[in-house]
Amino acid sequence: MPQKETRVIPSDYIPQIESYSEKIDGKDYLITNDAMYTFYRRTRGEFSPFFLALRDEKILLGCRCSQCGIVRVPPFLTHCPDCNFAPTELIEIEQVGVMNSTPPITYFATSLFQHMAPYGRGRVIFGGADTAMSVLLYTTTGILVPGIIRRGTEVKLVFKDDRVGAVTDVFCVPTSELAQEQIEKKGLQESEIDWESPVEPVLPDTTDKDRVLYREALHEMKSVIEEMNRNERARKDIAGWKRHILVKTKGGQFSILIDDGNIGVEEVEVASPDFVIVSEDPRTLLDGLSYRGAITDSVISKKLWISKNMEFSTIFKLDRMARSVARSKKG
Amino acid sequence: MSKRVGIVGAGVTPFKGRWIEKTYYELAQMATREAVKDAEVDIGDIDAAFYGIYNDIFERTAIPEHAIHGLCGMQNKFGIRITTGGATGAYTMSAAHAYIAAGRFKTALVLGVEKATDCFDFLSMSATPEVIKSIGWSGDSFFEQPIGWSASDSYAEVVLAYMDEYPDDLKPEITAQISALLSQQVKTNSYAQRQHDQVTPEEVMNSRLVVYPFKELEICVYTEGASALILAEEETARAMAKNSGKPVVWITGVGEANEHSFAGKNQKNMSRIMSDYFASRRAYEMAGIKNPTGAIQIVELHDAFVHQLEISMAEFGLVPLGSADSLIEENLMTPGGKYIVNPCGGLIYCGHAVGASNIMSAWSARNELIERKLKTALVHGTGSTIAQFTACMILEHE
Repeated sequence: MPQKETRVIPSDYIPQIESYSEKIDGKDYLITNDAMYTFYRRTRGEFSPFFLALRDEKILLGCRCSQCGIVRVPPFLTHCPDCNFAPTELIEIEQVGVMNSTPPITYFATSLFQHMAPYGRGRVIFGGADTAMSVLLYTTTGILVPGIIRRGTEVKLVFKDDRVGAVTDVFCVPTSELAQEQIEKKGLQESEIDWESPVEPVLPDTTDKDRVLYREALHEMKSVIEEMNRNERARKDIAGWKRHILVKTKGGQFSILIDDGNIGVEEVEVASPDFVIVSEDPRTLLDGLSYRGAITDSVISKKLWISKNMEFSTIFKLDRMARSVARSKKG
Repeated sequence: MSKRVGIVGAGVTPFKGRWIEKTYYELAQMATREAVKDAEVDIGDIDAAFYGIYNDIFERTAIPEHAIHGLCGMQNKFGIRITTGGATGAYTMSAAHAYIAAGRFKTALVLGVEKATDCFDFLSMSATPEVIKSIGWSGDSFFEQPIGWSASDSYAEVVLAYMDEYPDDLKPEITAQISALLSQQVKTNSYAQRQHDQVTPEEVMNSRLVVYPFKELEICVYTEGASALILAEEETARAMAKNSGKPVVWITGVGEANEHSFAGKNQKNMSRIMSDYFASRRAYEMAGIKNPTGAIQIVELHDAFVHQLEISMAEFGLVPLGSADSLIEENLMTPGGKYIVNPCGGLIYCGHAVGASNIMSAWSARNELIERKLKTALVHGTGSTIAQFTACMILEHE
C-alpha cells in the first residue's frame, strides 16, 4: 500500500521563530513563538490486527468474549472485564450498521481539523456488534447538516482508496444514498460512490428591484464595515488575517477585503479571490455582519454559499466581528 | 472515625481570557495569597498542598506543579497533583478532603491553576482552535482523536442522545433563556471574565452554531486564572474561624464516579450522565441528604454547555429527567426560584480555567452560603470524554 510522503506535522502549522512585546498599563511583556513537540514510533500493539485488516483486507474486526459473548467493536480489549477477564477472540463484523444516537456536527473545529469541517462524528453499531464504534460521517449530497443522520439511521462503512492502517481509513454514509449493490458490497471504496461536487449556484436574472435592494444593502454594509474598522475588539478578531472575498448577489457583485486588522468593502471584482460568497439576497450577508443572525448558520441553511469549506474560519471571524461590535455598543 | 473537614479560606484571581502579564507561577501564588489572607493564616500553618492542573500542554510542561510548590511556600511538605479532565478541580477538593478526613493532615491548600490561551494557531491567527486542539489530545488516541474528537463534540454526543430520548426537552428557547439568565447573574462577580457581557435570549438563539446542537453563547469560554481554598479538620477549622471571624463552611458530602468511555451494551448509556447521578447520590448519602429537592438551595454546577447544565440538574434529582426545561418553565432557577444555580455566572460567563474552575465554584458557593445565610450547596465538576467523570461535594453552613 503506497504511503503518502507527508510530514507528521504539516509545515503550514509551524510558525517562524519570532518574539514581540505587548504593552499593558505602560509595561512591556515579552511573547515568544514556541512549540512543545514529541515524535513517536508508536506501536498499535494488540490493535494491529484490526488496523491491518482495515488497510489490507477491507474488513472490520471486533472481539467476542468467550464467556458472555458480547461483541465489542473496535476490539479494544483482549480479555473481558465483565467476565473476570475471560479471553476474547477476533471475529469479522458486518459493514452496515445503525447510528447509536444522533451525531454532532462540528463546524468550528480544532486547528488540526479545520480543513475537514464541517464534519459529523458519531457512533455506529455494526451488524453483529454490541458496542458502538466512532466513525466520521459524510453525506454524498454536499455539506452535512442536522437531520440527515439521526439515531437509528442505517449507514454503510466505506473504505478510503489510500489506506494507512488507521481509523481514518474508513467513514460512513447513509445507506439511503447508495445503490443496493453498493450497500451489499464488502469493502466498498470511496471512489465507487458518486459524490455531489460543490457547484456555484447560478443566480437568476437581475431585475430593477434587485438593483435597488443591492444598492441599499451595500450602502448599509459599507456603514457596518466602517464601524467594524473603528472597533478595536473587532479589529483584533482579524489580526494577522488576509483575505480577498468576492461576493456575488442577485443585484450585483462586490468585494470584502480583510488585511491584518483592517476590513473594507469595494465595488470591484477582485482578481483571484481567496474564496467566493454567493448570497442571492445581499441582506442575508448584511444581517450576519449586523449581528442579526449568524453568517455561519446561513451557510449551513444554504441561504449563503461559500466556494471553500476551509473558509468557514473566515466566516467565523466575520461572525465574531459582528458580535464584537455589538458587545462594544453595550459598553 | 473520619474527621469533619471545612473550608476556612478561599481566594481567586480575576478570570481572564488572557493573562499576558502573568505566568501560571504568579497566578498560582496570587490565588494562594488571597486564600491565606482570607483565612487569616500563615502559609507555614498549612500542612499539605493539592494541585488541580488539567493539561500539561496548556502549561507547556510536564509536572507543572513542581515549580509552584516552593513558590507557594509549601517546600518540604506533601504536594500532589490531580488531573481528571474538566473535573480536575472537583476531584482535587475530593482528594484533599479525604486526606484530612483520614487524619493525615490538619490543614491543606487546594490550588487550581490554568493557562490556556498561550496556545495559538498560526493558521487561523487565533487562540481558540489551538486551545481546543490541546484539549483534543485528551480523547482516545487510537480510535477517536484521529477523526476529530473534541470536548464539544463528545459532550454534544451525550446531549443529542438525551434529546433522542426526550425530544421535547432542552428546547432552544429554554437553553437561550438559561444562558441569558447566567449572563445577568455574572454582573455581581467582579472576578468574572464576562462580567459585562449581558446577552438576550434572542442573541443566544442567533449566535452561530459551533458544534451542533451547541451555539456560541451556550458554551463555556476558555480562561486563564487560579483559585484556592484552605481546608482544615474540625478542631483546627474552628480555631481558625474564631481568629478570622469568618464561619466555617463544612464539606459534609463527597461523591465521585467515572463511567465507561465507549458506548453500547454494558458500556456508557449515551443518553444519561450516570457519573453525575452516582456522584451526587454518593455525596447526598454521605451528607445524610434523603430529599435533595428539599435540601439543596445553591448549585454551583460545571456548565460546560447549557444543555449539559440542564441534564446534570436532572441527574442530580433536582428536576425530573425529560423535564429539565422546568428549570425555566416552572421558575425553578429564575430569580426567587427554588434553586440558585451558578450565581457566579458559571463557567460560561465567569470562565473555565479548567483546573481552577470547580474550585472557583466552591469559592462562590461558600460566599453565597455565608452572604445569603443559606444552609446547603452542591458543587459539581464534570469532565473527560462523553461526560465520563464527575465529582460532587455538599457544602453546609451552620
